[in-house]
Amino acid sequence: MNARSPQPPMQKRYELIAGVLRLNITTGKLPAGFVLVEGPIAELMQSSRAPVQAALRILEGENLIHRFAGRGFLVGPKGSGVPPIRQGIRDLDLQISVEIDEALQSRGTWELVYDRVEEQVASCLIFGEFRIVETELGDYLGVSRTVVRDVLSRLHERGLIRKNQSSHWIAGPLTAQMIREKLAVRAILEPAALRLAGAAINYTEVETLRVRLAAGEEIEGEILEAALMEHCIARTPNRELVGLIGNNQLLLTAANRALTGLGLPRDRVEHGEYRTLFDLLSRHLVDSAAEYLEGRLRILAEKSLARLKIVAIITQPSDIAPFLTPK
Amino acid sequence: MTAPAVVPRRTLRVLGTSITLLELIRRRAESDLGFAISFEVHNFVDCQRRAALEPAAYDIYDQCFHNMDIVWFWGSLQPVDTFRITDWDMLSGLTREGGINRYASRGHGDQPVRKLYVQPGEALGPAPSRYISMLPTVHNFDSFGYDPRVFGAVGPHRESWSWLLDPRARGRIAVVDEPGIGIFDVALAAEAAGEVKFADIGNMTVEEIDSLMRVLHQHRQQGYFRAIWRDGEEAANLVRNGQVAAQSMWSPVYGELGETAQHFVEANPIEGWRAWHGGMSLARHLSGAALDMGYEYMNWWLSGWPGAVVARQGYYMSVLDRVREALSPAEWRYWYEGLPAEVDLPGPSGNIVVKAGARRTGGSYWDRASRIAVWNTAMDEHNYACRAWERFVRQVRGEASS
Repeated sequence: MNARSPQPPMQKRYELIAGVLRLNITTGKLPAGFVLVEGPIAELMQSSRAPVQAALRILEGENLIHRFAGRGFLVGPKGSGVPPIRQGIRDLDLQISVEIDEALQSRGTWELVYDRVEEQVASCLIFGEFRIVETELGDYLGVSRTVVRDVLSRLHERGLIRKNQSSHWIAGPLTAQMIREKLAVRAILEPAALRLAGAAINYTEVETLRVRLAAGEEIEGEILEAALMEHCIARTPNRELVGLIGNNQLLLTAANRALTGLGLPRDRVEHGEYRTLFDLLSRHLVDSAAEYLEGRLRILAEKSLARLKIVAIITQPSDIAPFLTPK
Repeated sequence: MTAPAVVPRRTLRVLGTSITLLELIRRRAESDLGFAISFEVHNFVDCQRRAALEPAAYDIYDQCFHNMDIVWFWGSLQPVDTFRITDWDMLSGLTREGGINRYASRGHGDQPVRKLYVQPGEALGPAPSRYISMLPTVHNFDSFGYDPRVFGAVGPHRESWSWLLDPRARGRIAVVDEPGIGIFDVALAAEAAGEVKFADIGNMTVEEIDSLMRVLHQHRQQGYFRAIWRDGEEAANLVRNGQVAAQSMWSPVYGELGETAQHFVEANPIEGWRAWHGGMSLARHLSGAALDMGYEYMNWWLSGWPGAVVARQGYYMSVLDRVREALSPAEWRYWYEGLPAEVDLPGPSGNIVVKAGARRTGGSYWDRASRIAVWNTAMDEHNYACRAWERFVRQVRGEASS
């Protein structure tokens, strides 16, 4: 594990973006029916698409925006029936508070480019093994060697790249074995942490989620997973355990996002599974919930392997980032 | 008074491969069922890609169980209700139970029964349920073909998959390019030749795939491979032009060899067969009248006549009794019972493909079904194996054309 840990305590990028959008929806600057698409928002916020996606999902979870038949989201709660307004987001002159603007700007240089690089690396893993040459990455990003090294060590920490015997940085390949092993670790650690969390679980949040799910609200899997982690599993008093769980999930999350980005279908049954989980937890049946979670993670392993088989039919895109050289 | 308006029924669109989508079958189905049917034929890989990515483009998917993991999990299909399959109870135990009897070898890899039944949570598994992913139909037990002048006359059970990597055939070997099939032909060959050892040939690890690919590349560098073929026509041409001494083979190709047939025979490998099983699935978008047409078409496939057509190119059908009724006694005895042909026998289009006195390699259906080494399979490391296989295929093709 790399010793360098350059992350200062600050709000995550997707939270900052969600904050800007939320503020502008509440003040009416972003009118009901306005079509929010990732690309232009990412450009405006000087960000990659991943945090914008996460921000949009948060706002969807808060019922401030909703999906529609087209690409992107419409401002306003679900079922409001307003016609889509298609307009450039820059034309709206959004309100971005000085603090947030600074927070978005003042992040370390490596952080400005990191998300984009992570996205590109994660999406190449299924196509095989790639070498990353430091100088090529530097040229591509237009940044110094120091910044490149910060980016690479972060990718290394997250398990997205490794060094081979000749000290070259290597990304991929993502194999069924890696997915199987990481999910097996999840099935061991996460139910154990949930049991240990016991009384420390945030039952107020659990009840809120249970009610929303019972009302038939469509909350996305990634949001539910994050909520389960934050309000239940990560409430365990053992900080070391929380760290292990977080690290183990990093590669899975990055790979999963990349697969969804390739157009793979979403899981249609996970919604019901989370409903059962939050239901058990809201009744303080922590042991039962932990047992259920373990079973769910074992099934998830099977599903993830099937998902990885699917990608065999996807031809390697021609626009893989130039700093990734196929081995 | 005007005649009552006849509302023409829509066209049923079938997506599949050349294994079953024969023009004479399409025409007969149209006349028996009374609605228009269109066939869209692709090779295995293109076919499954279209099935997964463009689910609105077809109504029936006619393919193999070993790509259920891909097309099913992509969410493009809907379960088939066995209550609507008239002859469901007549289907062979090979798929419904996993083997023709309790003692028959199950074979490694994707046994169809493991992909057959829809389980709670939409997964597929062997526990029987009312709903299935694919209605089992056409199937076979494949091996490779070889030139007896090169390998010498052999007694029963002496042929081995290792001949696909044998120095005697160096420079005159070809394999099929579909990764879920070709990889297993060469894997059986490499293991039989003692070059690699698999803990489970139907679910290789990354290290095992790497070892197999190393063996293949060594042979490639020594000029073992003549070609990688994509379809039966290409395979037949390689034999007719005398370019191969051993290669992957599909059953109908033996009937297309003409004069060269005497010098290219089907092996009955000591290690067993590489099996595959086809079937039909319903597109997810089907409902109402269109869904009814889908069931009518699938039930028609079990009626006997279609099974007799495919039997004449060497394929077996999941409803044996129905096929027996539709074949002549001489045909049944040759194709299913493995007895010597009493007369010359025709192929699907009427030309003679079996000479009187000939005997089917490997014996009867039950003999062959009891000796399955491995099924065509999408392994856990399918993606990894496919990418490695594609590199190998590209290199062989590059060398062949240079």
